[in-house]
Amino acid sequence: MHKFFSNRRLVIIIICLIVSFGLMSVSVAIRNKRSTPPMVQQFGNDVVGLVNRVVAWPVSGLNGSVTGFSDLMNTYQENQRLKGQVQELAQTKVHDQAVNRENQKLKQELKLNQSLTNYTPVTANVIARTPSAWQNQVIIDKGSSAGVKKNMPVLSGSGVVGRVAEVNRTNSKVELLSNSSESANRFAVTITTKSGKTVNGILSGYNHNKNLIEMGNVTSKAKIEKGDKVATSGLGGVMPAGLFVGTVATTGTDNYGLAAKISIKPATNLSELSVVTVAVRQAQTTN
Amino acid sequence: MLRVTKLRYGFPIGLLLFFYLDGILGAAFPRQLFSAPYAMSSYLVVLWLVLSVFFEDELQIPLTVWAAIAGGLFDVYYTGIWGIFVFIFPIVVGLTRACYKAFPINFLSGLLVYFIDITVVCTLSYFGNLVVHMTTASFATMMVDSLAPTLAYNLAAYVILYFPVQWLFNRLRN
Repeated sequence: MHKFFSNRRLVIIIICLIVSFGLMSVSVAIRNKRSTPPMVQQFGNDVVGLVNRVVAWPVSGLNGSVTGFSDLMNTYQENQRLKGQVQELAQTKVHDQAVNRENQKLKQELKLNQSLTNYTPVTANVIARTPSAWQNQVIIDKGSSAGVKKNMPVLSGSGVVGRVAEVNRTNSKVELLSNSSESANRFAVTITTKSGKTVNGILSGYNHNKNLIEMGNVTSKAKIEKGDKVATSGLGGVMPAGLFVGTVATTGTDNYGLAAKISIKPATNLSELSVVTVAVRQAQTTN
Repeated sequence: MLRVTKLRYGFPIGLLLFFYLDGILGAAFPRQLFSAPYAMSSYLVVLWLVLSVFFEDELQIPLTVWAAIAGGLFDVYYTGIWGIFVFIFPIVVGLTRACYKAFPINFLSGLLVYFIDITVVCTLSYFGNLVVHMTTASFATMMVDSLAPTLAYNLAAYVILYFPVQWLFNRLRN
């Protein structure tokens, strides 16, 4: 033991530890800032990401053929189910168009060009997932050259799945809602209750055992019921309003019994992502 | 030094391939690997490094340097936090070398060494994430939800890939 911790080795170990902690704190500080990562890191990520796509191609091809086969087996049942939904969808679509037109006209009358609900979708493929239990993070193949910016919301299926955490030129990292770190999950959301009232709040965490998003610090007295819809409120940052997050699963009070604590069932399965959409908000705020 | 064999090109290519597979497999099979609350982290790149220690023989690849490079890429590309894997990977290589000197390595004892290696990787990366507040999970949660599934996955990968990689190293050396 004495030989192992010789003077020289001890000094090297201590220096390594100091460097390690230094690097960690610097990168966390950079991560929380709005600006993109340093040029060197961005360049490195772009180069690595380029090769990633080449290696991912055969794997995704294999995966595609496996899921294609299982999809084929389910086709009949799914077709029956979807036929019913198509009728309903056509109606909703026509109604949607009418409402959209009306909305545009009203906006023109108010001389309002862009409101908080306007956004342009940027579709991206998931090329890798961070192999770590502590960061639920995926890497997508669109970056700042496609207009992606830090903190933009990312959608998949019918709802929000996360936000952009780091942007490089040709790829970006997306932090999923299931991330429980302190810097994640700061989404400004609003709940519309059955009686038409709105309750504003912020997503505060994630319950891994039950797969539910947690929303804390709700002081409103409005009655929130199970099944109420939760959407982004568009307040602050680069988040458009009206993106579906999920439905209320349970309500209760927090540990101190003061504020309400609401659990939200996510609209999309957060562990199954292959294609995502980054919502680029058009209305700019000073923030 | 690394003599002029095919291994000179084969080793870095294998290292990069396994590095990419770690992320790609997670993206391709998320339901199998990341079904909450369990999370299996794929560390195939560690498997490549450890098997290289076993099979390098007298070739002496500068493995610690390569491990640091792979760890650096892992940090920058996958996690976005510098300074965790860039030190863990060389530690694992050092540990494996020490074990290799202490007793003869074969398939089974190699499995045990790899078991220790993965435990070290998981535990150190957990502490790394804990100090920068990327996680607030308790040690017990980490053992059950992360370490156990990760060990199961990576040991299975070891069993499957041990002999193919051995064959590949023999092939590349000649």
